[in-house]
Amino acid sequence: MKPISERWRLGALLLFLVVLQFTVRPLPEDARIEGVMPDFLFLALLVYAIRARPGQGAVAGFVVGIVTDSLSPTAFGAGALAHTIVGYLAAWGKAVFFADNLFVNAAFFFAGTWIRDVLVLVIGGHVHGSAVFWQIAYFSPLKALTTAIAGTVVLLLFRRLLHIRISE
Amino acid sequence: MPVAPERFASRRDTVACLICLLCAVAARVAPVDIQLAIASGITDTIAAPFLALQEQVELLKAARATVTERMAQIDSAVVQDLETESIRAENERLRRLLDLSARLPLQHVAAEVLRQDDLADETMLKLSVGRDHGVEPDDPVIAPGGIVGVIESVEARTSNAMIWTDAEFRASAMTQDDDDNYIFGIVGPLTSEGPTTTLMELRGVPFRRTVPVGAMVRTSGRGLELGGVYPIGIPIGTVIAEPEEGEREGEQGREGWSRTYRIQPAVHPAALSHVIVLTGLGGDLADAFEVERR
Repeated sequence: MKPISERWRLGALLLFLVVLQFTVRPLPEDARIEGVMPDFLFLALLVYAIRARPGQGAVAGFVVGIVTDSLSPTAFGAGALAHTIVGYLAAWGKAVFFADNLFVNAAFFFAGTWIRDVLVLVIGGHVHGSAVFWQIAYFSPLKALTTAIAGTVVLLLFRRLLHIRISE
Repeated sequence: MPVAPERFASRRDTVACLICLLCAVAARVAPVDIQLAIASGITDTIAAPFLALQEQVELLKAARATVTERMAQIDSAVVQDLETESIRAENERLRRLLDLSARLPLQHVAAEVLRQDDLADETMLKLSVGRDHGVEPDDPVIAPGGIVGVIESVEARTSNAMIWTDAEFRASAMTQDDDDNYIFGIVGPLTSEGPTTTLMELRGVPFRRTVPVGAMVRTSGRGLELGGVYPIGIPIGTVIAEPEEGEREGEQGREGWSRTYRIQPAVHPAALSHVIVLTGLGGDLADAFEVERR
């Protein structure tokens, strides 16, 4: 069991990331590239998953996924399924290959985001033709990259709060 | 990489994951009505505060865009208004100059003021007419409001006019008291204010005569036969005050049996863009300016 203060700190950070998701994204169009903004909600899920058990990661993934689906119910359930899988695998993967290395964490955020997008596309089936290729080969990697950068910044900024020892 | 076996998935984790996966699959394959009902329930409860936050951010963004757009519109309107006002003022000045030109009973030539943007501009004007246009030294320079100065030197196509702010400027002047009696004096710049004076003074008014405040001072035309340059009737300015006793004593000593009055000039050189140079001699110009004053 984690100490209560640590839970509060983690909760505050996750809430901060969720707030970012709903405040940074509506920025003026000229201040961002459409579609490749960091996914702060998914980042919150990964930050939580790397500190949780796989079952907890799966539940958190399901919650984040179903909320995401509700906000944009084009392929309802696909996000929940994808987030559940990624949440579980993220928690399980960190348990097997834990490393407080900055590059490994960035790669972890990148891979998690990209795999989530691929799963949503495959399960949802709402994108067709060459758009799937562009989404998987161009837009998703860009979004994964921005999310990885944002995740790395978050880890660096809040490493004391999260009791993370990061070696570069 | 090192392994952390204590955090491998337990049966409980696997079950939790399977339940979540089942729920997700159920949500995926559920009828659209149910999907929308679930989505609606979530956006109205869990996501509601965050969506409200996002709405506020969107409103701020829209407000910012609107303010920026309005500011740009206001700026454009102000610039346009300033340009229009400037053109209107220029138009008005030229119209008055044309009107005055038509009323003048003696030979004259219109000139443009060529600004030099240096200190000499305060006492000297460069004009766009010269010897080729019939302009000669000592020709009077006037504007629709009244007297401006006198031509000091002439080139082929330009000339230099000494304006009334110059310390050397003098004009024989006249005005009237309350009983319509004529009072004569000499007008020059108010030198106590220095070279950037904006006022004139009427000197040499007999002590027993009183000039009322607001009286118009004009050129008297006296001494034209002796080398004077200004025809009779050109407005010089309006009497605004008689200086305090001590003020004049402190600068120049007692004036003896005369009074000195301050005058608000009829023409301020800074506002000039076009003038008229009188190339003919004589004549009474009071009527031409009387219409202008009305």
